[in-house]
Amino acid sequence: MRDMSTALNKRVIWMKMASMALAVTLVLAGCSGGTGKNSAAAGGSGTGEAPAASAEQSSTPAPGGELSYALATSPDQLDPHRSGLAVAVRVIRTLYDTLVVQLPGGEIKPWLATEWSVSEDGKAYTFKLRQDVKFQDGTPFNAEAVKYSFDRIIDPETKAANALALVRPYESSEVIDEYTVKLNLSEPSQAFLGNVSQALLSIVSPTAAKKDGDQFTKHPVGTGPFKFVKWDENSEIVVEKNPDYNWAPETVSQQGAPNLDKIIFKIVPEEATRIGSVQSGQVLAAETVPPQNILSLKNDANSQLYQANTVGLPYTLFINHSKAPWNELKARQALQLGINVEAIVKTLYLGTYEQAWSPLSPGIFGYDASLEGGVKPDIEKAKQLLDELGWKAGADGIREKDGKKLTLHYVDGSPNREKRNDIAAIVQQQLKPLGIQVDVEITKDVATVVYGNNNYDLYGNSQVNSDPNALYSIYHTTAPGSRQNLPNLADPELDKLLEAGAIEKDQTKREAIYKEAQQLIINKAVIIPIYVFPYTVAASKKVQGLAFDSLGYPIFNDVYITK
Amino acid sequence: MLKAVSVRLYTSLLVLVGTMVLVFCIVNVLPGDPALLILDPSSATPEMIANLREQLGLNQPFYERFGEYFLHVLQGDFGKSIVNSEPVLPKIVEHFPATLALTALSSLLAVIIGVTLGVLSAIHRNRWIDIVARIVGLFGISMPTFWSGILLILIFSVQLGWFPAMGSDGFSTLVLPAITLGFVGSGFIVRMVRNSMLEVINEPFIVTLRAKGLPGRFIMYKHALRNALIPALTMVGVIIGDLMAGTVVIETVFSRQGIGRIIADAIMAKDLPVVQGVIFFSAIVYIVVNLLVDISYTLIDPRVRRTQ
Repeated sequence: MRDMSTALNKRVIWMKMASMALAVTLVLAGCSGGTGKNSAAAGGSGTGEAPAASAEQSSTPAPGGELSYALATSPDQLDPHRSGLAVAVRVIRTLYDTLVVQLPGGEIKPWLATEWSVSEDGKAYTFKLRQDVKFQDGTPFNAEAVKYSFDRIIDPETKAANALALVRPYESSEVIDEYTVKLNLSEPSQAFLGNVSQALLSIVSPTAAKKDGDQFTKHPVGTGPFKFVKWDENSEIVVEKNPDYNWAPETVSQQGAPNLDKIIFKIVPEEATRIGSVQSGQVLAAETVPPQNILSLKNDANSQLYQANTVGLPYTLFINHSKAPWNELKARQALQLGINVEAIVKTLYLGTYEQAWSPLSPGIFGYDASLEGGVKPDIEKAKQLLDELGWKAGADGIREKDGKKLTLHYVDGSPNREKRNDIAAIVQQQLKPLGIQVDVEITKDVATVVYGNNNYDLYGNSQVNSDPNALYSIYHTTAPGSRQNLPNLADPELDKLLEAGAIEKDQTKREAIYKEAQQLIINKAVIIPIYVFPYTVAASKKVQGLAFDSLGYPIFNDVYITK
Repeated sequence: MLKAVSVRLYTSLLVLVGTMVLVFCIVNVLPGDPALLILDPSSATPEMIANLREQLGLNQPFYERFGEYFLHVLQGDFGKSIVNSEPVLPKIVEHFPATLALTALSSLLAVIIGVTLGVLSAIHRNRWIDIVARIVGLFGISMPTFWSGILLILIFSVQLGWFPAMGSDGFSTLVLPAITLGFVGSGFIVRMVRNSMLEVINEPFIVTLRAKGLPGRFIMYKHALRNALIPALTMVGVIIGDLMAGTVVIETVFSRQGIGRIIADAIMAKDLPVVQGVIFFSAIVYIVVNLLVDISYTLIDPRVRRTQ
């Protein structure tokens, strides 16, 4: 880039500037040494753990203030039972509480329920509830409210989305007494309690939900630390402090009402605008920072970067097992060895995202760390595998067999979220030397292309989840007649493991089962895991105490704003 | 005059119905099942999908659905959003003022910048001001708005801190998006005004006026400009339509509320009633604007009045 004739001259100037910058940085570092060394929490790739920043602040939290927080997309619903978007959960978490809370690592602790017991056959959960809780509209929180909420999710009238998948195998509830409720399952599930901790299974105010029906999503009422004020579509959602709040889980240090008076969630889809509004001071924090800005923000004196890896299924390329030649192990292995995931992750995310190695993301219960560094790209081996299957290079370099070209239909949902379309482009380039022609289709309508018409060879997706049982809905053989699972897989060995994992009570055994399942999925080249998505927040240095829950969602209870 | 206007009104009505048919057809032959988009494909059961299709009326034949839609629109009922079951028309009406303000301010900027530069560059042909005007025109036309918008944010919000980077409350949030959009419109107007001014300047009647010894400035602004403005005025009608379409991008870049944003989101979510509603509503606005432009010819140009 630089003009060679003046390179020497410029180098001198560069060195001067660099040393000046270094000096300035050192002075600044010296000044701020006392107040929270790692307040930036930069690169803190904790598994959804709160950055250590909040604990180390020397300035004391002061009540009051408004936090403006720019969201990347608009929530679809503020009704937890009907929402299907992760971005909605960021707001939903401020309005509602769940019966239990999950600590990073998977342990379940009390929240709205003080204690619980599981029946011998694993099919009934009895919860004892807190007696001092009320909804923001004054409705008392009790066993009836819990029963109402869970029944509401499985009621087809509610049109529940993701909550419906999470609540399975819930069947019915019994109110034992005012503050005791029994939830009945149709079959035992070890994932159930973890799912109950998820925001989508929040307890909603029965009074408000019955009254507003379809419009409850625009007038949400829960027991959460903040209460709903208004939602201007495509513009902002405002929530304010719930002064009565006194039932926070042990994951936050502020047990009573939150410090902040208000949170204003601004909806800013354009990433340059979003980051620009933090840098110009128009908002105090913005989520989902693009990798190139992560690097520059780490060096910005006025801003800080919070980063928490999301938990669940990492972004994964699923290979369609019902399409030839990918139904053959060797063909899938050729993809596994031919796609250089490390190169993809380094090129696109500049070292700010971690590479994924397993169908599960690190930080979830049962994650098998031994898979890390396991599969290495090996083009020669990949070519050899395709040769063995009888695919020979044709005149144009594309392999052929029986007059058919070796093509791969790669489907991805637009827009280019987290540069996923760029991954498709790189995979296309990487598979070319192998003699595989990759046809990339970018479509918003994956519902039709992938799920409806089964018209894909490779399709990428990810999922936020709290329990390894998340593997079940993706990898378990589906019943005849119902919708296929994502890789169109039917593997009896894996089925057995997933069934056992769903009900195993012994945690050590359960962990072993899921490790075996992960190894099996990788060894049989069912998928190609790509990256673990870090939830990133760029914030002004004035914002302190932002934390993240076990799934990587922000928690605002302890946030305060310094003057 | 009255007759001419009423004929224009009738043709406008025809265009409106045509638009409706076209929009309904395009939206309804697109591939993809809205029911599958609304429900989570990994967890929805076939019965749930069937039920929703029933509810949305997707099982009825095409002509029945169109007939029903047409009757409802006549009664001012644009249907309900399938995403959040809100009625479409009130939603459009609520968000239209923001888009209108943006379109109006950017059109105004486009006209002021465009006409000023166009006239100056024609009068001072081939001098530096002409070159500047032509470069501005070229940039305005060729720069994509999402790019110039972000550029303005980086300069005037992040670096200088003069204007907010986003939002839609207050005049200050309107400035950057209006400049971004107005710049595009001005590009077209500069070229148009310059060309027609140059043509008019060389017409015999201007030469006659000059020969009669009228002051140059008077000739330019009273006679030449008036004649040159007619093609430019037609252009303004077209540009207002363009600028309204431009709000789809600009409202997203600057995170503003408005119907551009609504339609962008609705297309993403395949929210057909909202898509249809916004397009149809915009068509009405566009037709009304062009009707006004046509009528205003008669005010500027006596010849048009006479021929009618």
